[in-house]
Amino acid sequence: MCAHTIMAIRSKKWLCATLLFALALADPVIVLAAPGDYRGGYDTPDYRTQSEDLLMRKGSAADLLGAVRNPPLGLPQVPIPANNPISATKIKLGRKLFFDRRLSLNNTMSCAMCHIPEQGFTNNEINTAVGIEGRTVRRNTPTSYNVAYLKRLFWDGRETTLEHQIWAPLLSHQEMGNPSPGAVIEKIRALPDYRGLFQAAFEGRGVSMETLGMALASYERTLVSADSPFDRWYYGKQDKAISVSAKRGFELFTGAAGCSACHKIGTASALFTDNAMHNTGVGYARTMQTMPATRKVTLAPGISVDVPTTIINSVGDARLADLGLSEVTQKPTDRWKYRTPSLRNVALTAPYMHDGSMASLGEVVEFYNQGGFFNESIDSRIHPLALTKSQRADLVAFLMTLTGSNVATLVDDAFAAPVGDWREGDPEWAHSAVRNGLGRHEEDTQ
Amino acid sequence: MIKARWKRGIGAALFVAMAGGLTAGALLSSPAVADETCQSPYMAKIVGQEDFVYVWTLGVEGVGDGQDKLVTVSVNPKSSSFGKVVSSVSVGGRNEAHHSGFTDDRRFLWAASLDTNKIFVFDVHSNPAKPKLTKTIKDFVRKSGGVVGPHTTYALPGRMMITGLSNNKDHGGRTALVEYTNDGKYVSTHWMPTDQNLHGAKKTGKYADGYGYDVRALPRLNVMITSSFTGWSNYMMDFGKMLGDKEAMKRFGNTMVVWDLHTRKPKEVLDVPGAPLEVRCAWNPNHNYCFTTTALTSKIWLVYMDEKNKWHAKAVADIGDPSKVPLPVDISISSDDSHLWVNTFMDGNTRLFDVSDPFHPKMVFEKQIGSQVNMVSSSWDGKRLYFTTSLLSNWDKKGKADEQFFKAYDWDGRQLKEQFAIDFMKAKLGRPHQMRFGAYSLYAEKAPNSQTTLADRR
Repeated sequence: MCAHTIMAIRSKKWLCATLLFALALADPVIVLAAPGDYRGGYDTPDYRTQSEDLLMRKGSAADLLGAVRNPPLGLPQVPIPANNPISATKIKLGRKLFFDRRLSLNNTMSCAMCHIPEQGFTNNEINTAVGIEGRTVRRNTPTSYNVAYLKRLFWDGRETTLEHQIWAPLLSHQEMGNPSPGAVIEKIRALPDYRGLFQAAFEGRGVSMETLGMALASYERTLVSADSPFDRWYYGKQDKAISVSAKRGFELFTGAAGCSACHKIGTASALFTDNAMHNTGVGYARTMQTMPATRKVTLAPGISVDVPTTIINSVGDARLADLGLSEVTQKPTDRWKYRTPSLRNVALTAPYMHDGSMASLGEVVEFYNQGGFFNESIDSRIHPLALTKSQRADLVAFLMTLTGSNVATLVDDAFAAPVGDWREGDPEWAHSAVRNGLGRHEEDTQ
Repeated sequence: MIKARWKRGIGAALFVAMAGGLTAGALLSSPAVADETCQSPYMAKIVGQEDFVYVWTLGVEGVGDGQDKLVTVSVNPKSSSFGKVVSSVSVGGRNEAHHSGFTDDRRFLWAASLDTNKIFVFDVHSNPAKPKLTKTIKDFVRKSGGVVGPHTTYALPGRMMITGLSNNKDHGGRTALVEYTNDGKYVSTHWMPTDQNLHGAKKTGKYADGYGYDVRALPRLNVMITSSFTGWSNYMMDFGKMLGDKEAMKRFGNTMVVWDLHTRKPKEVLDVPGAPLEVRCAWNPNHNYCFTTTALTSKIWLVYMDEKNKWHAKAVADIGDPSKVPLPVDISISSDDSHLWVNTFMDGNTRLFDVSDPFHPKMVFEKQIGSQVNMVSSSWDGKRLYFTTSLLSNWDKKGKADEQFFKAYDWDGRQLKEQFAIDFMKAKLGRPHQMRFGAYSLYAEKAPNSQTTLADRR
C-alpha cells in the first residue's frame, strides 16, 4: 500500500482520527500517519476508540537514498561522514537491522519498538521508555527524525556520532540487554537471512562493531523530514502556507518568547536546535521535588481517582535520579542540562521533555511562560514570559506548522520493512552463537 | 473434524468421571458438569481429589537459577509428599511466565510466556508427578503474523486457542487469537476487531480497541468470549512507574468480544471499561452468562445472553472500595454457579461473592491471604482452594511486602483453614503464578505408595 492509499483510506474511514491531527495543525491539512491506537480525549466520558487494524499496516519502500541526497525544503545538506559514504545497500541493511527484534538478548526489542514509525519515531504511549524484561529507562524516547543533523546524541549528549550511538542501547542492561559486542556480532553472523548482506554493503567486509554502526547510521540519516507548512511559508515564500495565528506565533517564537535562542532558525534552513545543552528546570524538578500525597490516576475513559502515593510506591521501584549532562562531565554546573531537541515534527512526538512529563504542546508553552522550574543553575535565557492565553495559542499554532510533508512517505516505507522475529534455524541465544563461533575458531586453529 | 474431536472430548470426560468415582449416569444427569472449575468444557476433568498442582513460576534474577520453571506441588493429603515440592523443571531464561492450560486430552500442559513469547509444552501424563518439557514453540510471533504476549492457552477440540496481549509493531494492546493444533502446528490468527476492521463484528458501544486477554467457550451456545487487558509496554513496566504515567494509563482494554465459536469470527464488541480480565462462564446449561472483573475499576461484570439471544455486559457489583484501586485479579466460579471467589492483589484479600442471583452478587466472606495475592484455584467440589501471589514480575510489590508463596486451604463453607504454605523465595524457586491440577486418576493410574520430594533428591 502506498502512502497515497493510506491517505485516501484515512480521509474516508478515519476522518475522526486524522481530523484531530489535522485540526491540531490548524493549517493546510496534511493527513498524517497517526498512532494506530489513538487515545485522544480518553480522560472524558465521551471518548470513542478510533483503532486501526494491524493487518492493514502495510507500506511500500521509498527512495530513501534520493531523500538523503536531496533533503526537503528547509533542511541543509545531510552531513555524511567521509568514512561511511551513503549507499542504497547500506540503507536497506540498516533498515532491516532497525526493525529486527533479534538484536536484543531475548529477541523482543528492536530499535523500532521504541522508535515507532507511526508514533513520530518515538513512543507516544508512555512517558519514559521500557526496555528488555520491562526494565525502567529513565528518559523519554527521542525521535529519530532528523537525527542526521545532531552533533550530540542522547538526552545527556554523551555520544557524538550515529555510527557509535547504537552500541549504547545494544549493550545497555536496561534497553536491549546484550552481554557483549561479540555476542551481538556472532549472533547476526549466524542469522541465515543476513548472509552476505554486510559483505554486499561494505565491499566484502562482514558484520563488525564498525559496519553494524555504519549500516544503522545510514538508515537513520534518511529520516530527514521538512518541507513543512512553515518551510513553504518562510523559505518557499508561500504566504498562505500557514495561518495568521501561526505567523503571530512565529513572531513570538523569534521575538518576545525567545524560543529561537535555542531552537535555531537560519536564513536558508532551520534545524530548530542549537545542538547545545541547557537546564530548563525539568530535570531538577524530577530529581529534587518530593511527590504529592496523592496522584490522579485514570482508570477508564472519563474515570480518574486520586491514589495515595504510598500505594503507588508500594508497587514501584524508587524513581532514579537523573543529572543530565553532569553524568557525562561530572561537573556540578552541568547538572540537569539536556540536549535541545529539534522541534521539527514536534506535533507528532508527544509526550514532551526528556522525561515525557508534559502531554501536550500547550503544557510545554505554559511551562516556559512561567519561567521554567527555578533552580540555581537554570539557563539564564529561561524567565517568566507573561504571554497571554491568545499568545500561547499562537505559539502552539506555530509549532503545529513544523510537520514535514514526507512523514507519510517515511512511515509508509517503515511499514514495508520486515520485522525481524525469531524463526526456525536462527540462533536462540547470543551465548550459543558465541559458543558456536568459538568452537569453529578452535577447530580452525587446531 | 471439530465434531469428531468434540465427541472424543466427551468420551474422555466420561472416562475421567468414571475413574474419579462418578457413574456415567450421574455425570450426564448432573447440572454442574464442572471442571476444577475454570477449565475448558472440552477437557477431561478431575472430579475427585487432585494429586498435584502445577505452578507456572517466574524466575527471579539472583534467586536460585533465576529461570522460569514449572513447579509441581503434592497436594493429596494421603501422599507421603503432601505439602512438598516434588518436581521443578527450569525452562531457560526469564520469559514472563504467566498462564498455562491443558490440551483437551489433558496429556500436555501448554505454559505460555508474555515476554519472550515462547510456549513450553509439558508432558503431564507419562508421570503426573514429574512433568517433562517435550517441546518449546519459539516462533509464535513470526508464525502468528506479529502477535506478542501469548496468554491463555485454552483447549478446543484438538486445538489450542491462544490469546495474545500485544503485537510486534508497537508493543501496544492491539492483538489477536492464535490457533494451534494439539501437536504444536500453527493453524491461524484471528485478529481482534478494531474500528478500522471490525472483521464482521458489530460495535455495540463506544469502544472497539482490538485488545485481548482471556478466552472462554460456551459450546452449547456456539460462543467464545474474550476480554482485554493491555500491551507489552504496560504489563512489562514497573507498576508504580506505570501508575504515574498518564499516557500509559490510557492504554487499557475496555471491551469484551463475543465470537462465533465454530467460525472463529467476532460477532459483537461489548463495552466493559476498566480492563476486564479473567472470564469464568457458568456451567449450568440454563445459565447463559459469564463473569469477569475489571482490574482498574474494581467491578464484577456479568456478560449474559437475553431471551432474544442478544448479548449484554452489565456491571453488577463493586469489589471493595474502587477508589482505593484494590485491583481484582483472578476469580474462580463454583461448580454450581452459586459463588465466585475474587482475589484483590493490592490488599492481599480473597472475597467470596454469592452470585446465585448473577445480577446482584453479595459479598459473604473476606479474608486476607497475604500482603499480596493473585491467583485462586478451586477444586471441583469447592472444598479446596489454592492461592499464589505473583501478578507480573514488575507489578509485584516491592520490599518486604513482596511475599511469594503457594498456600493450600480447606473451605468448609464458612471458613478457610490453611493446610500448608510454601515460601517460593525461600525455596529459591521464584514468583509463583498460575496453577493447574494434576491427578493420577486422569490416566487411570494409581498413586505410588511413596513420593520423592525435591528436597529428598537434593
